[in-house]
Amino acid sequence: MPRSIEELKERFEREFASISGMEAWKSVRDTFLARDSGIITAEMKKLRELPKEERPAFGQAINRLRSTIENRLQERHDELKKAALAGLQSRLDVTRPGFPYALGSAHPIKRLQAEIERIFVNLGFEVFDLTEIEGDYYNFEALNMPRNHPARDAQDTFYFDDTLLLRTHCTSVDVHAMEGRKPPIRAVTTGKVYRRDPFDATHSPMFYQVDVVVIDEGITMGDMKGMLEVFLKQLFHPGIKMRLRPGFFPFVEPGAEVDISCIFCNGAGCPTCKHSGWIEILGAGMCHPKVLRMSGIDDSRYSGFAWGMGIDRVPMLKYGVEDIRLLFDNDLRFLEQF
Amino acid sequence: MKISTEWLGEYVEIRESPQKLKDDLSMIGLLVEAVEEGESTSVLEVEVTSNRPDCLSHIGVAREVAALYRRPLRHPEKRETLRIEPDRIPYAIEVRDAGLCPRYTALVMDGIRVGESPGWMQKRLRAAGMRPLNNIVDITNYVLLEMGHPLHAFDYDILRGGKIVVSKARQGDRMATLDGIRRELDAEMLLINDAEGPVAIAGVMGGLESEISPTTTRVLLESAYFRPDSIRRTSKKLGLSTESSYRFERGADWDITVAALARVCRLVEDLAGGRIAGSMRDVYPKTMEPVRISLRKQSAAALIGVPMEREFIESTLCRLNFRLEESGPDSWNVTCPTYRADMELEADLIEEIARFYGYQNIPATLPPNRNMGRPSPVSRLENALRDILVGLGFHEAVNLSFADESDAEEFGTGQDERIGVRNPLTEDMKYMRTDLAPGLVRAAKRNFNYGRRTVRLFEIGKVYRAGPDGIPEERNILGILGTGGFTERNWKLPDAGFDFFHMKGVLETLLEGIRLRRCAIEPAGAVRWLNPAEAAALKIEDATCGLMGSLSAALEEKYKLRQPVYLAEIEFGALSGNAFEEIHFRSLPKYPFAERDLSIVVGRDLAWRKIQTCIADLDIAELASVALVDIYEGKKIPSGKLSMTLRLTFRDREKTLTVDRVQDFVDTVLSSLHKTYGAELRSL
Ligand SMILES: [Zn+2]
Repeated sequence: MPRSIEELKERFEREFASISGMEAWKSVRDTFLARDSGIITAEMKKLRELPKEERPAFGQAINRLRSTIENRLQERHDELKKAALAGLQSRLDVTRPGFPYALGSAHPIKRLQAEIERIFVNLGFEVFDLTEIEGDYYNFEALNMPRNHPARDAQDTFYFDDTLLLRTHCTSVDVHAMEGRKPPIRAVTTGKVYRRDPFDATHSPMFYQVDVVVIDEGITMGDMKGMLEVFLKQLFHPGIKMRLRPGFFPFVEPGAEVDISCIFCNGAGCPTCKHSGWIEILGAGMCHPKVLRMSGIDDSRYSGFAWGMGIDRVPMLKYGVEDIRLLFDNDLRFLEQF
Repeated sequence: MKISTEWLGEYVEIRESPQKLKDDLSMIGLLVEAVEEGESTSVLEVEVTSNRPDCLSHIGVAREVAALYRRPLRHPEKRETLRIEPDRIPYAIEVRDAGLCPRYTALVMDGIRVGESPGWMQKRLRAAGMRPLNNIVDITNYVLLEMGHPLHAFDYDILRGGKIVVSKARQGDRMATLDGIRRELDAEMLLINDAEGPVAIAGVMGGLESEISPTTTRVLLESAYFRPDSIRRTSKKLGLSTESSYRFERGADWDITVAALARVCRLVEDLAGGRIAGSMRDVYPKTMEPVRISLRKQSAAALIGVPMEREFIESTLCRLNFRLEESGPDSWNVTCPTYRADMELEADLIEEIARFYGYQNIPATLPPNRNMGRPSPVSRLENALRDILVGLGFHEAVNLSFADESDAEEFGTGQDERIGVRNPLTEDMKYMRTDLAPGLVRAAKRNFNYGRRTVRLFEIGKVYRAGPDGIPEERNILGILGTGGFTERNWKLPDAGFDFFHMKGVLETLLEGIRLRRCAIEPAGAVRWLNPAEAAALKIEDATCGLMGSLSAALEEKYKLRQPVYLAEIEFGALSGNAFEEIHFRSLPKYPFAERDLSIVVGRDLAWRKIQTCIADLDIAELASVALVDIYEGKKIPSGKLSMTLRLTFRDREKTLTVDRVQDFVDTVLSSLHKTYGAELRSL
């Protein structure tokens, strides 16, 4: 074999040995076999410059080398293909941490607020956007709480002047819905409410409520119970139990306090439920005939129910948040948990 | 209201354990919050709602227990007469305002020996949470807790002229009450006077002077009925709530004044040696009628939602001392007990029926739905914004809606239009907020204090201001804050600080997400809380609906933040009309696009917006987009200039673009930029 061919073969073997992957394989193939610029082609071109008698031997040697290279490369190609299919090629340290795309969080109350609105929209309710600054009429008078009504004591109120105040509950949705609509009415509103209570673990001068009202012909306390059950089971857990006790709110009659089975002890009794197995969750009742009449609803034809619930109570119950102040502190260590 | 089970047992037999009693009472509406063990009795902590003043006594609760367990009620012994002939002590009662005091009953006793009340009485008073004082005061308190009727004892010898006059105060009247406080009275307040001046604030508190003292031997006992709203007004005005005012303002029983007085009289005779010296006077000019309500069986069934038996309705109401007269088939005229101040309408009676039917026994049903659910447009937008921001790594904050006085000074916003509550809880909660930025900055600061330096927060909430006609306006605002790293520190990308263009990108993503394309972000004029070098405004047409930028150096300094803080505030309420533009589908292009990068050198001060406009003005239909993919300053670029790499994407929807056409377009762009702004092709 001519010396130059011998050198080429050695060079091929060297480069062949260093083929570690498909890329390298391609580069070796192109180096040697590329049609226009490959080494073999270049050698073939040299053939013409040789003396006639040397040509056959040289030609044979190059052809042998070419087929050797082709065969060797084909084998290697098959090996690499096999290895790739078996996934043996990966050398990535997959245990390193992935890229830290940031994920934020919705505030627990706001998330619940959206969830609650969604539940009610699915039950056929219209969501009302109401202002937080409300007239005394809508917040109190039209809800059967005239001036000097003792029930106002429980709702110490922020006033702007004699008639404007920060709403103490969302119950004014009852009045707004009745004024603007004819039965059948299904209305809901959620949002901030304010009471002049100093901060402590369970009180805040600002908190969130949801209030709903349903008015139609033939609405009964049984209907109120049924709708409450649907709502509370969707909000908390399908397995919770609910119970109603008589209660008093000036805008309803009969009135009810609604308890759910304690979600911490499942009704067995624990410190959260004061060992009763029940947790007071909302106030409800059949719309007071005076409230219906004041807002122009014929109480001899229509009846309805209304209820209101503190939304802040829910994360406290659902997630065990023990202090209401955490909800308004905007501490990332808190927010990131939701 | 603290109820001693031992005491309660005097009026109704109790076989149940305190725990059982607690559960059973709660289910008929008398919520028992706790059961405590007292001196040889259990004490029930009963939460009596404001409509049920009749339950603010042991007999009141006993009535409910008797009705619940169907057991007889044992009243204290009734006394036939409170008269003697002739009176040993002359006295007179004059009621000048029968409107506010419809009934005033009194008598005078002498021979009193003031001393300690007996142990059993003291024990019961203590169990009910009252401090024993002396036998006379203890007796009036005892009867209050027993029968629920407030009574008052005056030292007869202090009363001038042997006379009681019930009348409104004269403006400027003053008197010292039992608690030793001198009080200013106004002309609306009802007073108990002697012949010369005030001796008690009617139904609220007695006067210091006529108080029972160790030397008292003769007393005038008062058992009256005062109008609830008058007592409430006085109590509120004076900021003085007492056991007495608490009951009168909720509605006492006008029919019990004599019985309560008789009870006190008997106890004074037995325990303090007193004897009647002046016969009972009962000033009751106009008889008050009990409330009568007509009730139909059908209404009860319709409201409760279960068929009701006649028998059940009748027996329930009778056990609760209502009197029923049939007024037709399945209907009654119902006379309510005088102690039931809450009775007014048929629904009130239906509640009584439902209470004893048991709310737990009413089957749950679902009313047929005749409505279509309608989400609120504001909530829809809010939810979309929230989802995007959470995905971009922002945490949702909720701040109080109040603002500190200093917010307006520091942030310089809304100072003239802010509104304040008349009765703030604290000075720093005096105003309603006019911006979200101050709350977010303080929240960031708080997190810095916990050692966090990368903080991304947003808040969706209302801000408040006085409207043009004085009526407050509420606007829905989105506030965003970003500061610190762009990502958490990591091995893939070197550290990058959150900067203006990150915030701008957030806004652009939001606008994209809510499909609001007609919005532009332009340089902003002076904004007090923003750094003037980095302030921009969000505009729809010419209306500004948002601001963004970095917090001013002064505020950064003031809050000792020690790092740039980027903020944005968008009035998204104003966007809602323009958001969620209709989606119009365009069929996918059939021909491939061509991309060319063009690196040009331009003056440093040339705004990107100008380059965009200049290219857009060429109206090259095939130019699908122009992106700024690189900016370079430094080596090989003359000072005062910089290099920008524009990625131009071309597409012809009708045919494949040829290389020559694309090159023509690129040349056109370059020559226009050259002509207009002296842009040169960057040589490599
Ligand atoms: Zn529990």
